[in-house]
Amino acid sequence: MIESFVTHTLNGLYYGFILFMIASGLTIIFGVLGVLNLAHGELYALGAFVTFTIVGYLTGLVASPTGPVSALVFAVVVLLGSLAAAAVLLPVGAIVESVFVRPIYERAEVYQLLLTYALLLIFIDVMKFGWGATPVDPGVYSTLNQVPTTELVGFGYPSYNVIVMVVGLAVFLWLVWFFDRSKTGRIVRATAINRDMATAIGVSTDRTFTLVFAMGAFFAGFGGAMVSIGPGTAFLEMGLDPLVLSFVVIVIGGLGSLKGAFVGALLVGVISRWAIWQYPPVELAAPFAVMLAILLVKPEGLFGTWGEIE
Amino acid sequence: MTSDPLLEVSNLSALVEGFEVTHGIDLEVREGEAVALVGRNGAGKTSTFRSIMGLTPVANGSVRFKGEELIDRRAELIPKRGIGYQPENRDLFTGMTVEENFRLPIWTSGDARDIEDEEAVVEDVFDLFTELENRRNAEVQNLSGGQGKMTAIGRALALQPDLLLLDEPLEGLAPVVVENLKRYIREIIDREISVLVAESNASHVPEIVDRMYVIERGEIVDSGDPEVLAENEEIQLLMQGGGE
Repeated sequence: MIESFVTHTLNGLYYGFILFMIASGLTIIFGVLGVLNLAHGELYALGAFVTFTIVGYLTGLVASPTGPVSALVFAVVVLLGSLAAAAVLLPVGAIVESVFVRPIYERAEVYQLLLTYALLLIFIDVMKFGWGATPVDPGVYSTLNQVPTTELVGFGYPSYNVIVMVVGLAVFLWLVWFFDRSKTGRIVRATAINRDMATAIGVSTDRTFTLVFAMGAFFAGFGGAMVSIGPGTAFLEMGLDPLVLSFVVIVIGGLGSLKGAFVGALLVGVISRWAIWQYPPVELAAPFAVMLAILLVKPEGLFGTWGEIE
Repeated sequence: MTSDPLLEVSNLSALVEGFEVTHGIDLEVREGEAVALVGRNGAGKTSTFRSIMGLTPVANGSVRFKGEELIDRRAELIPKRGIGYQPENRDLFTGMTVEENFRLPIWTSGDARDIEDEEAVVEDVFDLFTELENRRNAEVQNLSGGQGKMTAIGRALALQPDLLLLDEPLEGLAPVVVENLKRYIREIIDREISVLVAESNASHVPEIVDRMYVIERGEIVDSGDPEVLAENEEIQLLMQGGGE
């Protein structure tokens, strides 16, 4: 019983870190640009598909592992391939922002929703055209599993999941450092707080918005890469559930709050996995129930900030 | 004053939500000069300042700074040309410290303003606003009204501007704080930074500026010596909401 509880909690944290990578971009884009990007889940899916191609190519260049050390080398190559795949999303995000989203900033929110929904459909068709309608898998997970299992108290747990959690934590810490300590991050925050005043001290809001959208796309793509090289596959509809849950995450955490997205993602991840463990039909409903409860007590979310990244 | 014009605003009409809120504004600030734009609330002072900064669209007119036309320039380039702006409601970057608010303009415009020594510029601003020294690491939302105004002015000063636009720097402050701020503004002028200050209380102006314009319903209705204009009964009536 305890082992099941710990395993499902760890699975929830693993899923929570994946969700955080998606939700962090969603909340940053909303916090700075004021745009609710319905196509964000497709950036995650595109990351998974691009990973299939890049990691598939890279792993073809290295020998299959024969022991723990070569398995670690293989894992590093796969991780670098995943980063490269996520990097492909940087120009994709930059183009989406500068070509499609920028013209509608001054329009009513309904235009943003219509546009990003249209982009969602277009991305699905582009992926269908590029990779076909059937799921694809780089087929590296079984090889990655040759990395020795992480020994926890009394039982083993897949090292891959632990690595994803460590990487997710590193992403969170980097984002906190970026927005709290780096010059560029603080300029982005200033733009989120007051666009006009940021302009009046010399900030190019166009460039800032493009950077933020590209960053959001990168982390969504990286989340997709983590799933693609893991036990999951890349498939056309994979962006939908994480998008819906990411909305739950950022509502729980507070729209525009990075720390809120982190706590919210782990909470939603764990609750959904506990639901699967105890009563699978409520897997999606359980996080929404928690969101409703939190909204009743704290309508602005746990770390509620509108327009400020904290 | 016989120095060259630094800022020349001609026939400027600002648009707010599609409506023309100022009508053919003409004003000028020369190098080293301190000028006031005086008018009651809603007269068009803030719209004029915002249109100079490129933050409010204009229907027509010209804004020339150091001989360069600024209308249709991208707004973020205007501070880089040397205009610092303190907005009416401070608009500080909350969640950040006083010092961070001073550093941000240097990071965004420092290269364009030839600022090589960031530390020296920041310390220079703290040297002017001595009251802020022990609040340097305070987040700006925790400042008093006067400290907030000083931070907003200090942030504009950190750009090392040639011209400073101060929008109602004295509004809503206690008399003792007003006197302090007047002293700080005079010190800024002594540093040979040109100043254009918007003010709704004409009596504050003679102590600060060399020349003053009066704005009413979006139009410049008078200009001249601030000592004379501030004592003018018609102007006083105008400031109180009377007059034509």
